[in-house]
Amino acid sequence: MTLQLSEQNRQAPAATEPALRRIVTFKVGERTFGIDVGMVREIKGWQATTPLPHAAPHVRGVLNLRGVILAVYDLRTSIGMGVTEATANHVIVVVNMAEKTAGLLVDSVSDIVDVQTSAVRDAPDVERDEYGLIEGLVLLDDEIVALLDISAVIRAGEVSPANGQPLRS
Amino acid sequence: MDPLAELKQTFFQECDELLGALEQRLQVLEEGGTDPEDVNAAFRAIHSIKGGAGAFGCTELVHFAHAFEAALDLVRSEKVSCADAPWVLFLRCSDAVADLVGAARRSEPADPRKDLIEALEQVGKEPPASAAEPEEAPSLGMIAALDQLLAQVEDKAGPAAAPAPADDAAWDLPEDPDNGAPLLRIDLLPGTGLFRRVIEPRALIEGLAPDRVVSLACDLSHLPALEALDVGECHMRFEIVLQSRLSPEQVSAKLEMSLAPDEFSVTLAEPGEAPAAEVVQPAAPVLTVIGERAPEALVPQTNAREAPTPAAPALHHPAAGRPGAGARPNVSVRVDLDRIDRLMNLVGEIVITQSMLMERMRGLPFEISAHTTEGLLTLSRQTRELQEHVMAVRAQPVKTVFQRMPRLVRELAQTLGKEVRLILNGENTEVDKTIIEELADPLTHMIRNSMDHGLETPDERRAAGKPAEGTIQLGAEHRAGRIVISVSDDGRGINREKLLDKARRTGVIDPDAKPSPQEIDELIFAAGLSTAAAVTDVSGRGVGMDVVRRNVETLGGRITVDSEPGRGCRFTLALPLTLAVVDGMVVRSANERFVVPITSIVETQHLASTPLEHLTFGHEVLRWRGEITPLYRLGRLMRGSSDSDETIIIIAETERGQPVGIAVDEIIGQQQVVVKSLETNYGAVAGASAATILGDGMVALILDIDAMLRIAAQPRALPELKLAG
Repeated sequence: MTLQLSEQNRQAPAATEPALRRIVTFKVGERTFGIDVGMVREIKGWQATTPLPHAAPHVRGVLNLRGVILAVYDLRTSIGMGVTEATANHVIVVVNMAEKTAGLLVDSVSDIVDVQTSAVRDAPDVERDEYGLIEGLVLLDDEIVALLDISAVIRAGEVSPANGQPLRS
Repeated sequence: MDPLAELKQTFFQECDELLGALEQRLQVLEEGGTDPEDVNAAFRAIHSIKGGAGAFGCTELVHFAHAFEAALDLVRSEKVSCADAPWVLFLRCSDAVADLVGAARRSEPADPRKDLIEALEQVGKEPPASAAEPEEAPSLGMIAALDQLLAQVEDKAGPAAAPAPADDAAWDLPEDPDNGAPLLRIDLLPGTGLFRRVIEPRALIEGLAPDRVVSLACDLSHLPALEALDVGECHMRFEIVLQSRLSPEQVSAKLEMSLAPDEFSVTLAEPGEAPAAEVVQPAAPVLTVIGERAPEALVPQTNAREAPTPAAPALHHPAAGRPGAGARPNVSVRVDLDRIDRLMNLVGEIVITQSMLMERMRGLPFEISAHTTEGLLTLSRQTRELQEHVMAVRAQPVKTVFQRMPRLVRELAQTLGKEVRLILNGENTEVDKTIIEELADPLTHMIRNSMDHGLETPDERRAAGKPAEGTIQLGAEHRAGRIVISVSDDGRGINREKLLDKARRTGVIDPDAKPSPQEIDELIFAAGLSTAAAVTDVSGRGVGMDVVRRNVETLGGRITVDSEPGRGCRFTLALPLTLAVVDGMVVRSANERFVVPITSIVETQHLASTPLEHLTFGHEVLRWRGEITPLYRLGRLMRGSSDSDETIIIIAETERGQPVGIAVDEIIGQQQVVVKSLETNYGAVAGASAATILGDGMVALILDIDAMLRIAAQPRALPELKLAG
């Protein structure tokens, strides 16, 4: 654990890092993902989007959130699991990033949980994850929750480093 | 934002206005004006810039502005006559001030422009004698001013009660000592940096709106020994007893704007409190000694006391207690543009909600909708009115862009060795700020073009029987719901033979074509035909008028040219009054809707009645007004799918004015739509300039015809077309 703590320092100085992180968890298929609750602006049901021509495959299009136009990204596509058949039961997690607001299409939102900052491990070097989508892993009730780097999720699929082709499943 | 940064930003905004005023006044004077008010206004502008710059520690700017101000003051005090004053130098200096302000705004290091400062210091001097040091001059000037002030106060307060000097309007105080107002005793204990903060004690006292100054004493006991004295520092303390209609609290509040709380105290004075006359006495000898150290520095600064006080804006309008100060013309409020933008957004929302209501209404049975429709129509009218008013608030005069042009012309005239007079008309024509922001580039380009290619050299002009000085007119006016901006020159006009020859050689037009003179002139906008054949570093930067046309048309505008050989050339630019709202035609392709800006649509026709020709790879063309026009299907271009059932062809015009057919499934209607950026939360979208929100809350892309055609030209669009063909 102490080793991981020191590795955490890459992200933020230990002095300012709170001991607890509050995480919103959500599911795509059987997998559970999480992001810091502070990033989540709101969670809304799926609504039809306007597709964008020649956009990356994980871009589902744009929608109108009370007068603001934002893009919705299909997390399933970003992680290489195909395209979500969106229904009224699907959920859009609206996240605030540094400058932009974006929507993340997921299957369902599970919970809000507090995790020990020290319990967050670095993501292993997974071959497929060339975009660095996963910022860290945390174990919750025998379930692995992958904490997402949202900006990487949004970048993913725009241009693949290898052949200029968007990442597909 | 922290308050200091906010203040600083306000200062820079004011600088823009002040620089505009400065340049305008100098321009008038340069053209032979002799109105002292122009000189005074220019002086005030630079003085205010200096004051603010001092407050924010922009050292280079302060130094430069100071030298500039000192030189202008010589003209103002008529030591140098208007006719002899180096107005060209002053104009260059105003450009330099603009540069320094720009650098300070970006927190970049700036060239202190020592060359210009030296030139300024020579103004009004016969031999280049030992120049006054800029840092020392202000304080000496203020000390001198203070000296006079002290003398006057003594005159007034003294038993002899001598009449006030005739030239001293500012101290025109009521002579009646018994008006009942309480006596206030004010002790000023300013820190040594007082003068660096550009605070003048005299102005401080004036700002208190004194009815009567009973006594004013200066305590010089804190002066250091002469060898340790830095004349830039303030070592004086003041003890003032005055009668004012302001309460001690109000006086304190006024002083607090300029001074720290520990730098002053305000108390009610005991009646009969007398000035400590003996304290004043040391002043004279000490000042004399200082004066001897740099006597020449005193000369240009004796009028400094008349200058407005920059560091304490509140003191500009000491309205309270002054009769007749209540009427102020042009009451205005400075509002953050962000707030207006938010208001504008909100109005946009209302427009959307209202069109949504309209749409819902149509689905209702008649007996229900009939009652409500009337109310909705009223709402709709009011919304439009509201929108217009908010737009009016956002509107700015084109002056903000126009006032950058004189400098451009000046600099270009120097580079090109041409003599040019720039005449501005209609600077106060207002247009939405979204357009203002986009105007600078095309205007700059058009003026460069006129100066470089339009106007002849002075020799050529004389040979052609024209005055050596060329004229460029820049004008703006409102016409038919658009703003029309024209740039005209009295130069040689477009060289039609050369242009036509080049167009034929480069294949822009058919070698056998016989274009009309007007058509030849229009060739100047064709890509690759920039007359920058003679590449100069002025306009031959690889971009020509074709770029200007493209930019203008991206904004939904049009540009035209009229030329008369030997007499001159005029470019006319017509732009919409705003970019926040566009008139669009809503069209459908399969189950998606798009908005085509009305400005790009020429006409519409039925697909079935149009003869089409299929070329290779599914490329289609149609005959339109005798021309072979390419046809694109919206579904394939913008949805990458050929599942739509096109019935209508929209003939649109590209930026180059070429017609193109766009096949769509259906035209849903025409409406005004609110433009929403896609880049705020996403990024650029191929084929679309922006998006809007339709009545049902769905987003629709606003098409950009030229950008759409660029998609068609991309190789990855080919497989789609192959499949479809």
